[in-house]
Parts: sequence; C-alpha cells; structure tokens
Amino acid sequence: MTEITRRAALGASLALPLMAPALRAQALTRLRVSVIPVLDVAPLHAAIRHGYFAAEGIEIDTSATTGGATGLPGVVAGQFRMAFTNTVSALLGVREGLDFRFAAAAVRSQAAPPDNMAILVRKGSGITSGRQLEGKRVASNTRNNVVWLRGMAWIDKTGGDWKKVTAVEVPFPQMADALAGGQIDAGLFSEPFVTAALQTHGDKLERIGWFIQETAPSSSVAQYVAMKEDLEKNGEVFERFARGLHKGTDWVNERLGKPELLELISGFSRVPVERLKDCGFTVYVKDVTEAEIAEVIATMTRFGLGGRYPAPSELIFRTAKA
Amino acid sequence: MAGGTIAAPRRFRPTSGLFLVLGLFLLWEVSARTGMVDSPNWPPLSRVLAALVRDTLSGEMPMLVASTLARMFVGLAAGTLAGVALGLLFGASRFAARMLGPTVELLRPIPIPAIIPPLVLFLGLDNTMKVTIAAITAFFPVLTNTAQGLRAVEADQIAMARTFGVPAWRRLFRVTLPAILPYVMAGLRVALALALVTTVVAEMIAGEQGVGHYLVLMQFAGRAEEMYAAVLVLAVLGYALNRGFLWLERRLIGWFFATGRNG
Repeated sequence: MTEITRRAALGASLALPLMAPALRAQALTRLRVSVIPVLDVAPLHAAIRHGYFAAEGIEIDTSATTGGATGLPGVVAGQFRMAFTNTVSALLGVREGLDFRFAAAAVRSQAAPPDNMAILVRKGSGITSGRQLEGKRVASNTRNNVVWLRGMAWIDKTGGDWKKVTAVEVPFPQMADALAGGQIDAGLFSEPFVTAALQTHGDKLERIGWFIQETAPSSSVAQYVAMKEDLEKNGEVFERFARGLHKGTDWVNERLGKPELLELISGFSRVPVERLKDCGFTVYVKDVTEAEIAEVIATMTRFGLGGRYPAPSELIFRTAKA
Repeated sequence: MAGGTIAAPRRFRPTSGLFLVLGLFLLWEVSARTGMVDSPNWPPLSRVLAALVRDTLSGEMPMLVASTLARMFVGLAAGTLAGVALGLLFGASRFAARMLGPTVELLRPIPIPAIIPPLVLFLGLDNTMKVTIAAITAFFPVLTNTAQGLRAVEADQIAMARTFGVPAWRRLFRVTLPAILPYVMAGLRVALALALVTTVVAEMIAGEQGVGHYLVLMQFAGRAEEMYAAVLVLAVLGYALNRGFLWLERRLIGWFFATGRNG
C-alpha cells in the first residue's frame, strides 16, 4: 500500500508540471464575442493581447462581422455570449421583446470635434446643412442604426426635415465612390472611412459636419450586449470580463494617438497605420449611464423608432455600471 | 512510332480566348493608371499582382485558400454521398419519388445565400455551417442527375444482369453505379462551381475563416489591392477546379466519351 502510494506520488509529481498548461487552459472560461473590426473594439483587443482576460481566467474568442446588428441574432441563438453593437440596434432588439442587456461599455461620441463620424458632400454642391438635403439622397451604412439616427438628427438640427430626405443604404467601403460619382448627395461616414474618403477623394469631397458630436456630444454609441438570462446566471463571469476590458480601456486611453495603439488597431482591422494616424477616435469608456440610454431612447422616439422600452436602469447590468 | 502521331506544338491562335483575357487585364491596368476609372477602389492590376505575391510569400493566401478548399471539399463529399443515395432511392422507387419529390422541388430553387441566416441560427458560424452550405449546394444537382441517370440506365443491362443471376447488391455496384456515373459526374461538375461560390459567400457573412472573410476584411480596411488579389485567386481557383474536374472526368468515364457522347 505504501509502495503504491509512493508510486502514485512520484507519478503525480512528474505528471503535474507537464499537465499544468492543459489544466490552466481548462480553467479558462471561453467567451465568444461578436465584434466588428473597427477602432471602437481596441480595448477588447488590448485586453486580449496583454493577457488581462487571461488573468481573469477568461479566454476571448472573437468572431468578426461587418455590422453590429449581425452579431445580435448570434447572441439570441447562443452562438455568442456577447456582441459589440451600436446602442440603437440593441435597443430596437429590446423593443421587439429580445432580452438584451448592456454587459459592458464601449464608446461614446466626443464632446468636441474631431469625432469618429462625419457627414461628407461633394465639393461645390453648395450643401452645408440639412435644409439643403431635403429631396436629396443621403447614404447610411444601415437604416435604423446609430449612424442613421444621428444623421437624421443632424439634418433636423440644421434646418431640414428628415422625412423629406431619401435615406439609402450604402456600405462604408463604397460610400466615397458613390458620393464622388454623384449616386448620392451626402454620406454619413464612420472612421476610418472618413479619413480614407478625404485622403483619396479630397479634391472632390468635403466634410460639412460631425453629425453625432454636433447633435449629441458625449452620447452613447456602442456597447457589449448579452442576454439577460445569461447575465443573471453567470454574472461572475461577466464581472471578470468587465474587469479585463476595463484594463484594456485604460491601456488604450493611456496611448491615444501613440504608435502602439495604432499598431494594435492596424493588427486586427488591417487598416494601414498611416491612415489611422489621421482618424478621429471615439471616447473609450468604462460605464453605461441611465441618462445616456434615456437620451438615445428619446431620440429614437423622435425619429420614428419609438415603442415600449424598459426603464434604462433595467437595461444596464451591474457590470456596465460605474 | 507505334502508338500514333506526333502532336504538333500548340500555338495560340488570334481567336484564342486567352487574348481576350490578356486584353481585359491590359484594359484594367490602363483604366486605373490613366484615371479612366478614378477611384482608390480600382487599383492597377500590377499593384494587385504585387499584393498577391506578397500575400502568397507570407503564406497567408495559401493558408486561406487551403482552409476554403478544405471546407468546400468536405461539404462537396457529404452532399454528393447524400445526393447519390437519395437519387438512387428516387430513381428506384416511385413511391419515394412521389413522397419526397415535391419537397425536393420546393427546396431546390431556393438560392443558397438565402438560407445562410437560418443556418447560422442552428449551426453557428464555424465550419459546421460552412460545410453544410457546401453540402446542400452539391446535394441537389447530384440528386437530380443521379435519379435521371438511373432512369436512363438501359433496362437491357439490368435485365441481362438479372438473367445471369447477378445478386442485387452486385448489380448495383457493377452495373447500375458505373452506368449512372456520367450523370453523377455531370451533377458534380455543376455542384463544384457552385460550392466554391457558396462557401466563399458563407465565409463573407460570418466567422473569421477563409478567402471570403479575408476579402471582406480587406474591403473594410480600404486595402483594395489585397481585396482584388483575393478576387483573382478565386477566379483562378474556379478555373483550375473546373479544368481539374474535366481531367478527372476523362479518366473516370473515358468509356462514356469514347461512345461519342458528351458529358
């Protein structure tokens, strides 16, 4: 008996160091997150690269889609635990009865220019305000998302009637060509497409406004969204996620405009560093406030996206609160 | 000199399709260089080729192509097996054809990209979904061609095998399957071209895999050279797959073409 115990002890002492990496890998909780390869998800990638999630016992598996709204059905179906998505798309899902909750904060618009999104028109078109866009074609990457909503709000604020504007869907990569070619009269651009459009079509296009910053400075743009049931059941996992993400946010905020950050973003988005240097960034934040969600719901209601929404306090899970 | 004539070296005639391809490439280069098409999204072919060389030498493009092809071929194999099995059932049993026919005819015309969203819901975003897409793409053309082939197998062949007392399973493998192989191959050729398209479309919609994802990523990163390099690779891949399939077809069912029929 004693001999067997010794053998077992000897075996275990030899095997354990060999098994350690496997055991550590087993201990990590795997979270699959739907992301868009844009500037806004830099904190997530920073946290992955610098091991902030691993330190929390989390392994993040990202899956890139080209639009935030594409990731939400994946969250409903259980394919993703979370999706990075714009606030408006998430709230529309909630309005339709889907139990989305804000699990972690991501970005807000800037308090002052330059911002991450801008409205561009053709040079010489004479268009400088929403009033002059009445009866014209304005492109948004998707209808009924944050880009469209704030674009319509900008038209309204600058004297136009948003209902008299023809909103057309044009993907960001094609927007500059469509605008320069005269297929649309204005485009609601997001970075890095603002910079790309002005760099490559600078002789033809010009920026006439920062449509989010000018209508709603420091307003809600995007968050990480999860299902209410999952959050309530596995709140501790999401707390660890939020802690790791916050460290990533700090890392990013400490390096704004610095080569390290631009290289990180270029790594996952494949956008050349030279282009990123000129981009306007959003504000990377760590909390979602009730006031910002209430403001988005109020704006959505003004622009035809009203309905029955729960109170903002119910929509923000504790991991997304300050 | 036994065995035949010496083949004359092949020369490109002015009517060769290759000249049109070269002409289009030239037009691409000139239109981008001279500003005929003035957009950063229309880079000269030479820069696209340079990007292709870079991505190939870095090993990224070969890896992407290999992963796309692996998914496509696994799906193609699964879809072909299922298509042949159900096609045989359709061809052999009128009852089965009556029962399942309307369902197949309803599902067959649905464009494959239209069923990707529900498949994402049930199968996720990874290989399972993409392989299933390729399998469904292969399934219908193979199914219909197999059933059609079975009906076209000459009754005399089956009757003769029966007369000689060939057991049913042997008749299937020695008479029926070889006889319907040209039809299955014809279905497979259609499926092959479509499977590449649908696999890439599935990769473009979701997940971080394959040439399709790379194409979209480069488009959103504003790297037109790399994006068109992926498009060129897909064009060459489609062409090579078709040529390879024709070669295989001649090897497998040479006897069919020797009878003067055309696949």
